Amino acid sequence: MNKLIIISLIVFNSMTPSDSDLKSDVESLIRNNFEFETRLEFINYKIPGNIKQEIEKKSGQKFFKDFLYMWKVYRGDDYIATGILDNVYGKSQPITFLVLINRYNGVMMCEIVKYREPYGGQISNKKWLDQFNGKDNSSSYKIGDEISTISGATISVNSITKGIRKLTILISLIGNDL
Amino acid sequence: MNKYLLFMLITLFLSNITLAQNEDFYESKVTLSGYGELHFNQETNSKGFVSKSLDFHRFVLFLGYNWTEKWSFKSEVELEHNFVQNGQGELELEQAYVNYHHADWFGFQAGVILPSIGLLNEYHEPPLFFGVERPDYHNKIIPTTWFGNGIAFYGNYLDFDYKLTVMEGLNNEKFSESNGIRGGRRKGFRADAKNPLYNLRVDYNGFPGLKIGGSLTYNKASGDTSTNKIDIFEIHAKYNYNNFYALFEYGQINYEKGNFRKSLGFYFDLGYDLSGLLKTRTEIIPFFRYTDYNTAASTLLRGDADKKNHYKYWVFGISVKPIQEVVFKADFGIRTRELGNEETKLFNLGVGYMF
Repeated sequence: MNKLIIISLIVFNSMTPSDSDLKSDVESLIRNNFEFETRLEFINYKIPGNIKQEIEKKSGQKFFKDFLYMWKVYRGDDYIATGILDNVYGKSQPITFLVLINRYNGVMMCEIVKYREPYGGQISNKKWLDQFNGKDNSSSYKIGDEISTISGATISVNSITKGIRKLTILISLIGNDL
Repeated sequence: MNKYLLFMLITLFLSNITLAQNEDFYESKVTLSGYGELHFNQETNSKGFVSKSLDFHRFVLFLGYNWTEKWSFKSEVELEHNFVQNGQGELELEQAYVNYHHADWFGFQAGVILPSIGLLNEYHEPPLFFGVERPDYHNKIIPTTWFGNGIAFYGNYLDFDYKLTVMEGLNNEKFSESNGIRGGRRKGFRADAKNPLYNLRVDYNGFPGLKIGGSLTYNKASGDTSTNKIDIFEIHAKYNYNNFYALFEYGQINYEKGNFRKSLGFYFDLGYDLSGLLKTRTEIIPFFRYTDYNTAASTLLRGDADKKNHYKYWVFGISVKPIQEVVFKADFGIRTRELGNEETKLFNLGVGYMF
């Protein structure tokens, strides 16, 4: 019996993501997106007050904090993309997500890094997130048309969709000032 | 040795549960949300008698608190029909549970919870379904909102989403030919824990916009003097993409004994969001619904007794959503009872919200 409990705990524990590795997990996610070697430069980016206000008004969603985790992605000396880690609220818990945006302001990849709600976990589905690839600040993000809904995850779908659009607007405004 | 190892592992496991948390991306918080709906209902029966009512059907507040990113509390209190007096109106604690979210593939909740039966029971906010009133099917076959005391395990893995619920059983002495199992819900009120209800639901979400799945439920429903084993089989599918809406659900309840041995029904919705064609930001979604249900489909008397609770109901309607969280609704339909071919015309208007 004890053996069974021990094995269960080892399996259970090993399948639990550890939050202390959040940064290194995100860096792995970014690196895995490229077939070539990349160099990452981490920035704890403080969002300027006027820009924050403008984006929140345009996107209809507030930022979780007044700073974001950002990574400038380099191939050799060339700055080729920006990774942004942000939070949006689901029904009651924050959803931590990563968006990788190229130098033409287009979304290259989205990933749900941490989902904490009992309902709506299907938004981590890769096929659903791939719908955002290629979108930029001027794209349509209409849910039910351009972006498919997920039954049972309405609030999370709305939040993440707004959150991704919000970050494309941010990059379109500050892209060269990082 | 094993005991020492076990102690170390439990300590490691608990520390992993309680300590690891990135404060830049998490903060404890009280959450307040809710939903509500006002209805105007007009019914004209086969003899031409007209009834009209104006009813703030549901006012619901959701209160939650997150201690950590894994441990949280969620609750939902509902007031039905404005106030409670002399058996009219209802004040209900529909949800109140501690939630532990271990990882995407596993979590559990314990307290007052919702069994995962059908598309509507867990997701019943007015902007999420067509029609002013909840579909008849979700009143007569799968009664919503169905809640009770118990524990549930949930998760999602690959493209599958699953939930196993063990909760208070039903009271078989409140089953009826006209309402199936609806009256048998104990709603957490000093519920009998002798014969728990078991419910397993699995959904597949691998295609964008589509959810398809089903659930199985079993309960040896107890009463003061008798028991009646029931099982519920239910399948469902919902699709929304490129402005197109489609939904289907079929449910069947089998009873071990009693005057009727089966309740069954289905309904489907088809809708299309015209906002793209009309170049408007407001969603304008006309829809059609067809429902067929019989709460006493297989009676011992047979003949007319099988037809007495068999209804067919078609509805045309529209949902107008200026924003995702607010909806104005209108619908018109005719419900026909098989016995006597009795027709009732129904016209409804409503406004609903969620936040």
